[in-house]
Amino acid sequence: MSKKLFEIISRVMNIQISQINDDSGSESIKEWDSFNMYVLLNDIEKEFNIKFSLEETLEIKNVGDFKKQLEKHGVNLNE
Amino acid sequence: MFSEEKLSTYLNRAKLLSNVNSEKKIKVAILGSFTLNGLEETIRVKCGNKKIQCSTYVAGYNQYNQEILNEKSGLYKFSSDMTFLIIDTRSVLNKLFFNPYSISVEDRKQFVKTKSDEIINLAKIFVNQTKSKLILSNFVIPTYSPYEINEAREEFGLQDMVRALNQNIKTELGHDPKIYLHDLNSFVTKFGENNVFDYKQFFYGDIKISLNHIPYLAEEFMGYVKAVLGLNKKCIVLDLDNTLWGGIVGEDGFEGIKLGDDPIGRAFVDFQRNLLALNQRGIILAINSKNNFDDTIEIIRKHPNMILKEDNFACFRINWNDKVVNMEEISEELNIGLDSIVFFDDDPINRYYMKTALPQVLTVELSDSSSYSQTLKSMNDFQMLKITNEDTKRSKMYLDQRKRTEFQKHVGNLQDFLKQLNISVKIKKADEYTIPRISQLTLKTNQFNLTTRRYQEEDIRKFVSDENKLVECAQIQDKFGDNGITGVYIINKENQEEWLIDTFLLSCRVMGRGVEEALLSQIIERAKMKGVKKIKARYIKTKKNKPAENFLSNFGFTQNGDIWIFETKKPIKKPEYLVIS
Repeated sequence: MSKKLFEIISRVMNIQISQINDDSGSESIKEWDSFNMYVLLNDIEKEFNIKFSLEETLEIKNVGDFKKQLEKHGVNLNE
Repeated sequence: MFSEEKLSTYLNRAKLLSNVNSEKKIKVAILGSFTLNGLEETIRVKCGNKKIQCSTYVAGYNQYNQEILNEKSGLYKFSSDMTFLIIDTRSVLNKLFFNPYSISVEDRKQFVKTKSDEIINLAKIFVNQTKSKLILSNFVIPTYSPYEINEAREEFGLQDMVRALNQNIKTELGHDPKIYLHDLNSFVTKFGENNVFDYKQFFYGDIKISLNHIPYLAEEFMGYVKAVLGLNKKCIVLDLDNTLWGGIVGEDGFEGIKLGDDPIGRAFVDFQRNLLALNQRGIILAINSKNNFDDTIEIIRKHPNMILKEDNFACFRINWNDKVVNMEEISEELNIGLDSIVFFDDDPINRYYMKTALPQVLTVELSDSSSYSQTLKSMNDFQMLKITNEDTKRSKMYLDQRKRTEFQKHVGNLQDFLKQLNISVKIKKADEYTIPRISQLTLKTNQFNLTTRRYQEEDIRKFVSDENKLVECAQIQDKFGDNGITGVYIINKENQEEWLIDTFLLSCRVMGRGVEEALLSQIIERAKMKGVKKIKARYIKTKKNKPAENFLSNFGFTQNGDIWIFETKKPIKKPEYLVIS
């Protein structure tokens, strides 16, 4: 599932999967602006069929945060 | 219902857009009272898919007032062809959105009046200062009221306020030729407020149309883009078995096909009713079917539940020939370009074949017959900027044309046929009644068009008020009926001695009957009487105007560089069988 997450990020931010790690976020990726962040949230919610709360949404700053929140919603990223 | 791509897909494609193959250009500005990110990218990609090079200007967040009121704003510098303005109900009503009943009925009425005037005024200021068309979205009627089930009892309540706002705007701006009112309320109704308005996205980034719905909104806006560029479709070509009725004539017979009062039959009747409504508005219908002609025409003529009658079709190709060949013949017979044709056929193989062989034809993907009507109604390809008198009469005109063709076959010789047609040409000045049609003809006439210059209504109005220009049109009638206004020319009177033909066009419906020569010769005769020595003209070659290619040389013009010249002292050949008035 980690792969799926990375694929979505790669597609939305228009960057190579190899450029993505847990620390990737608005500071390290220039495409990661606030609008692309909404688009990313929207696509991740859709593809994993979950809904983040507004608070959870605001806590997410980078890929690692996405992983934490996805695990909290029962997505097993190690599959 | 067709399902849109993800917004993120459009955003990525927008980065890869190249305009190498584009055939048309358009400049689109977007103004909104809330975040509309992603809309311009999606519109650009959708334009790219139609070979339109689209450049965009997106005003800053909630900057629409400043952009319109400041003459030096980026909006005016950009100089768009079309401008979309979307203001949302929340921002217009402000606190009253939550509790309109905190003020009196009179104050609510006054509030709506003030807001309507503000918006109407803003729209008028904008269109007076630009050449751009303005597409103004209406206000979405809120579904919730704090008065809940008592909302309907309240005089001029929340929903009434928004309805009044929309109505005031429609009354004031609905007839302005440069303004189109987009029905955003219907858009939200169609998809549902709970889907279109996502609270989380709203709180997160003032997004009032959810990211999932931005592509659908862009698709709706494309209807306007296509209309402005004259890319609308003119003709629907239909298969018969399992397209206009359920079942197969050859197997099920007259009695066995499904058309009428059973679930499957009802779907086809409904589809036919929608087709009839489009036909009555001016969309041409034709048949392209592999079938026995006699069996199927009997159904069209005699089946009690056929909604579409023989006279609704401008052309029939019911035979065992190749459908692509049939399609080419239909295009030729109706004088309608393949790229103005939409094709409906239930058979995926036929559709695939048509798509591959004639990609210019818009072949519509169909699934279950219960969705045919919805598919047809969700298409934005038949949009026209204005529905003129000629449009509503068009189906009758094509029917006349079919009878004319049959008559020609009967008469045989072309000269005799033309003589017996009793053609009369009535020249009319451009005025309030004819200007919309003149503009429409310049926008969509592709074949017999010397220069293919596209003019909006405002352009034509400007020409009319210019004393050095002559703008006229021709209404053409014959023994089979009235073709309506089907010819246009625009002349620049350059000086005392020289006139330049800026535009000279004839609708394909009346091409090749001597009308073109008759129109040109009366222009030259009038010029000669005014002492003009030379008539100059240009032929600007396009992919489609081959029919006009040899017109000037055949008439006796001589070429000088890219200009064609006719000395008015030369004798004029004109067809004698035509009456001009």
